[in-house]
Amino acid sequence: MLFGRIKAAVEGRHLQAPLFVYGLRYVSHFARNYSALRSETGIIMLRKYPYLANSLLLISALLFSIALGAVFIPPQTILRILADQIPFVHIPADWSNAQASIILAVRLPHTLLVALTGAALASSGAAYQGLFRNPLADPYLIGVASGAGLGAVIMMTAQEFNGHIGLYLIPLGAFAGAILTVLLVYNLARVNGMVPLTTLILAGVAVGAFASAATSSLMLRTDLQIYRAITFLMGGSPMAGWQPVLAVLPYMLSGMALLSLSGHTLNVLQFGEEEAQQMGLDIKKAKIFVIITASLTTAVAVAFSGIIGFVGLIVPHILRIIWGADYKRLLPLSMLAGGSLLLVSDMLARILIAPSTLPVGIVTAMLGAPFFLWILRRAKKEVFW
Amino acid sequence: MVAILEISKLCTAYGKRRVLHEISFDVQAGEILALIGPNGAGKTTLIRAVSGTLPIEAGQVQVSGRNVTQLKAAERARNLAVVPQARQLGGAYSVEQAVMMGRTAYMGWLGRESREDREVVAWALAQAQLTDYAQREIAELSGGEQQRVLLARALAQKTPVLLLDEPTNHLDLQYQANLLALVGKLARDEKLAVVMALHDLNLVSLAADRVALLVDGALEALGTPANVLTADRISAAYRTPVDVVPHPISGAPMVLPRG
Repeated sequence: MLFGRIKAAVEGRHLQAPLFVYGLRYVSHFARNYSALRSETGIIMLRKYPYLANSLLLISALLFSIALGAVFIPPQTILRILADQIPFVHIPADWSNAQASIILAVRLPHTLLVALTGAALASSGAAYQGLFRNPLADPYLIGVASGAGLGAVIMMTAQEFNGHIGLYLIPLGAFAGAILTVLLVYNLARVNGMVPLTTLILAGVAVGAFASAATSSLMLRTDLQIYRAITFLMGGSPMAGWQPVLAVLPYMLSGMALLSLSGHTLNVLQFGEEEAQQMGLDIKKAKIFVIITASLTTAVAVAFSGIIGFVGLIVPHILRIIWGADYKRLLPLSMLAGGSLLLVSDMLARILIAPSTLPVGIVTAMLGAPFFLWILRRAKKEVFW
Repeated sequence: MVAILEISKLCTAYGKRRVLHEISFDVQAGEILALIGPNGAGKTTLIRAVSGTLPIEAGQVQVSGRNVTQLKAAERARNLAVVPQARQLGGAYSVEQAVMMGRTAYMGWLGRESREDREVVAWALAQAQLTDYAQREIAELSGGEQQRVLLARALAQKTPVLLLDEPTNHLDLQYQANLLALVGKLARDEKLAVVMALHDLNLVSLAADRVALLVDGALEALGTPANVLTADRISAAYRTPVDVVPHPISGAPMVLPRG
């Protein structure tokens, strides 16, 4: 079935422009001109410059995400249209008005929202993993995403009465839900000052299931459209256009900026709370800071993009394998790579059942669940992160 | 001589169970005091209470004349450093990164390294004979080398008092001797006041200036190794008959279980 989809996409039956033909041309062009990257030194170069490697990945993912859709718009046209938007820069138009408005009004905001969401989920996943000293702490698996979803839906139902202002209250509701959930799960999972893998995941599943059930019943009892409600729970973006991007931006930027400040704290915490305290870390303050910032970041992502799992698990894990566990570096890298991964998942979500789209949470779950099992097997051998 | 660490009538409890009962002793600069006693006597508890990670029920602990319980975490870490029990360290940190974390109490929230931090870390690495290992990952090192990483991390805190919790556990003989020699040299050269919980009584008589014997949370005896390590006292404390004989070369008391 997947093969049929790809074949259809290549033949341009669903996507007007032959995306895959273009993709192949792009790859061969890349290989010809940047053959250094294929050689061993090229790979070592990318390993040596993690920020460069991840930025390049993110930029390509952003461009492809904007290019891809019912009408394919080549990346060079996208760049020209975007450059034309910069004040005092004028590019002679060789594009149609329709192309410009598709990009500026539809695809650019969607792409930015997806990238920001991925960045937020991956970096908060990394922070939870550092805080709990547990490689499986993903905002979805520990139930925080579901808690944030419940908070968001409570606000969404309130929005029915409050009108426009509700849009800006959704992140606050999600934040409250996330904080309450993380505190509940943390205290349920704690055994003798440690947060073992099994109790963490079990507590997360239980609390998450309860929050999801409450969310579902709330959605069924109110006038929210059932389709919108279901896609939200499956991790589909319920809103389009610039409005959600603008509503999300202040929370996300501040959340991620604060998160990227906690690298040193998380490093020290890896030796255990008692030793961290003996090294001079005020662990109470440190834990509260990390919990609040990670939950804020998760909550905003959930509020506008639905419940998307596993991004916070996959991304930091792969980054750790390649670039090590130093949280000072892991947190910003997670933001870049998380944006890339969610953009790729989102593109798959748009291709797989084109012309309609899957909620992106389904794609990340399909990628993430096998990955989760792989880590679970590996984690038996590792005690310390 | 000046007492750097003063412990007076210290009591602690886990829940309702009293673990330490009115412990009092002083440790001076350049002195090594060994804590001995059977399992469960309260050695680790005493180190945790002194380092401020376990609440004190009664009595007080003073470092350089200041009450430990009134110090903030960072201030405390500039006065007292702890070398924890040897254990398997994992994680993808280099030796240098791990030792740099000992500078937390001198850094801001961001953990930005100053030139002084780098100098102190280089000094600590040299003291612990780890300079050549600086860029190695700690997970790759042997148990003895990992224990030296924890020692270097504590040294990087630049404290007048060093607390070691059974630092030689699980280590081979060569690493035990090496580590104790290092600690002895540090106490002499850097004038550190050292409190070290030890399991092996024969290491105690070689490494310590004074010995504190804990039994059931109370201080049973305090004095030089020759005074504390007597056959009667050790037999009673450990509830097992022992003989104490002089070391054939140094003359230090050696404790041997009666065969």
